[in-house]
Amino acid sequence: MSAVTPRSATGNPLRRKTRAMRPWDWSFPSAPLVHREVISVQPPEPTDRPPLLMVHGVAHGAWCYEENWVPAAAEKGWPAYAVSLRGHGGSAGARHLRRTLTRDYVHDVMQTITELPSPPVLIGHSMGAIVAQLVAERYPLRGLVLLTPAPMHSAVGDLVAIAKDRPADLGRAVIGQTLSMEPDILFEGLDATTARAYSDRTGLESPLVQWELLLRRRVGPVRCPVLVIGTPGDRLVRPADVQRTADSYGVEPVWFPGMGHDVMLDAGWDRVLDTVLEFAADLPAWGTAPAR
Amino acid sequence: MCGMAEPTPETAPEPEASAPPPAPKPRRRAPAKKAAAAPPAPAFVDRGDAWAVVGAGPHGMSALKALLQNGIDADGFERESDVGGNWNFGAENSRVYESTHLISSKPFTQFPDFPMPDAYPDYPSHRQVKEYFGRYVDHFGLRSRIHFSTDVVNAVPVDDGRAWDVTVRDRITAAETTYRYAGLVVGNGHNWSPKQPVYPGQDGFRGEIIHSADYKGAEVLRGKRVLVVGAGNTGCDVAVESAQNAVHTWHSTRRGYYYNPKYMTGRPSDQVADSLLALKIPLPVRRALFKGSLRFAVGDLTKFGLKKPDHKFFETHPIVNQQLVYYVGHGEITPVDDIDHFESDAVVLSDGTRAEVDLVVFCTGYLVNFPFLDHEWLNWQDDHPQLFLQIFTPRFANLAVSGLIQPDSGQWTLAHWQGMLIARVAEALRQRPSVARGFLSRASAEADRRFSAGTEYKNSTRHYYEVAHQEYLGVLQDAIHELEVSA
Repeated sequence: MSAVTPRSATGNPLRRKTRAMRPWDWSFPSAPLVHREVISVQPPEPTDRPPLLMVHGVAHGAWCYEENWVPAAAEKGWPAYAVSLRGHGGSAGARHLRRTLTRDYVHDVMQTITELPSPPVLIGHSMGAIVAQLVAERYPLRGLVLLTPAPMHSAVGDLVAIAKDRPADLGRAVIGQTLSMEPDILFEGLDATTARAYSDRTGLESPLVQWELLLRRRVGPVRCPVLVIGTPGDRLVRPADVQRTADSYGVEPVWFPGMGHDVMLDAGWDRVLDTVLEFAADLPAWGTAPAR
Repeated sequence: MCGMAEPTPETAPEPEASAPPPAPKPRRRAPAKKAAAAPPAPAFVDRGDAWAVVGAGPHGMSALKALLQNGIDADGFERESDVGGNWNFGAENSRVYESTHLISSKPFTQFPDFPMPDAYPDYPSHRQVKEYFGRYVDHFGLRSRIHFSTDVVNAVPVDDGRAWDVTVRDRITAAETTYRYAGLVVGNGHNWSPKQPVYPGQDGFRGEIIHSADYKGAEVLRGKRVLVVGAGNTGCDVAVESAQNAVHTWHSTRRGYYYNPKYMTGRPSDQVADSLLALKIPLPVRRALFKGSLRFAVGDLTKFGLKKPDHKFFETHPIVNQQLVYYVGHGEITPVDDIDHFESDAVVLSDGTRAEVDLVVFCTGYLVNFPFLDHEWLNWQDDHPQLFLQIFTPRFANLAVSGLIQPDSGQWTLAHWQGMLIARVAEALRQRPSVARGFLSRASAEADRRFSAGTEYKNSTRHYYEVAHQEYLGVLQDAIHELEVSA
């Protein structure tokens, strides 16, 4: 779509003060994860570009980026990484999925970041965008990309929309079953076979994490440039919520009409990736950025 | 529960403790202000708006990173060839020993934006800590910003305190260079310059006397009769290692202590303590709970011959050691009183006992030492600097000290936030000088503020720098916010 100029986070209405005190993180740290799946492809030529780290959403795994984005980004010269959060994809933790919290996902992403050669551009999709924003307040990212982000200001609106659209799905989510990941919910432009195949690869989600989506969360100051991407026809995250997330960082979302919720898989994923890479290419070098 | 297993500046008998060290062995980082032959005039480099950071231990590293992260150019200076400071085992000024492990658990010992790997245990070893620091500097690209193997000879304010001239000497070529910086962060550590007590008759003692600064491993204890002096965390560690290796061990302490376990209810005990803090349980209740659980698990320490603590829980820097009492119970360690005097073949204690020993290990802690800075500039009072928020001096807005704290928790979370505050001040000094000066004008008024979260710390040199992490971090957080909202 249109080129986007990265803008720094300013005027974030949800922004509150820098949080040094995290007594719950200190006293009840997330359980260590025995195996974390990190898929990575390096560009053909060595580069000083920042790594891209991609975080998936509800019931997905690193595979959703492995399919298109990771190899394509590497081919265009970017060190590309995708992580599976605990209980997802090839990572361990499926047995404890029912008591997994969003903070555990934050822990997993922080752990992955420390293994990267330098500070990354963090890309979060849907629920993974919430994780990414929580990481961004803790860690000095090069840039933050939110793909069809689940709202930090509570997903109650989306829940109501889902209730009108498909009441049965709402009922399942309320009793702790995983939100429906049927092909017509995630994709608009894929052929039926491919869409079904992707939909079948989705797994389970932690009920606690799904319920946590209803919480209104505040995020501390985010100092890196932010890019927000949405689709007008999204059946999981309402465009109004994407707009509000973008507003909270003082940026305009970039819209991709004709695409479904899974912008990294749906037809047109390459255009979305190009927008992300354009944003990443324009970022100020780490250590030279003005304060905000 | 401090992150450094080192600090032990306790337990030396008070009166003699302040006496000057007896002819110290080759002084570490001798204040070599004037070298013998007149050296050629040092080269001069004006670094303009950049800041200097002295030391590449955890505090220096995190201050350097915080400055760079906030767009302030900065250079680091480190005397060794690698980062790690105290944790650079084997380096001249490293004070860790072979068996050192953290005594505070990972979650609030690590840098909050760079957690330790999941594969590390709850209490990593000094080797893992050093590896962790190496990954931190590599990840944030700090290595190229640090001048390694470089001594800072001196640092002087110039241009009415608007800049600092930092003279450094390359330890390999001995070439001296003077750099001019807009600001200076001092992170040279406070656990390297030994505090050496002196007792009557010490010169005539035929056995060996060492300071824990020179204690690297248990070999020196093997087959000897050993007296360990001091009940800081190092003192207790050395006493335990001595119990395992020496013929017999005497452990001399000035007062009784609470010996905290590393684990409670299957969790690191500092995490248990912090959950009570997170629940906002009042101090007297927390005290009662901890005291009660120790009482239940171990019982009355005086039955082991140890002294009764003369203070309340949380009033001294916590000692985390489960094995000391165990070895007292095995008869390997005899707890004894203060030293009275030395005889040629024995040490006589103030209760009259005579311990015939071959080796005395003074685990009597360290003194703060800034060999390259005029103490006056750090608002020196008696024998220690009085700094606003333990960081800023009322004398200069562009001089900050990182690391002059000893928290009742892990250290490096605090290192991170100290660095972030210093970077905010540096940024404000550049962009909004009036805001920065307004903030720092409080420095002289509040320089004596302590962060004890309601407890009265025992007055000894180690407790000048003691901070209660929950109160101190809260204050740092407010200060950072104050500078941010004024942007």
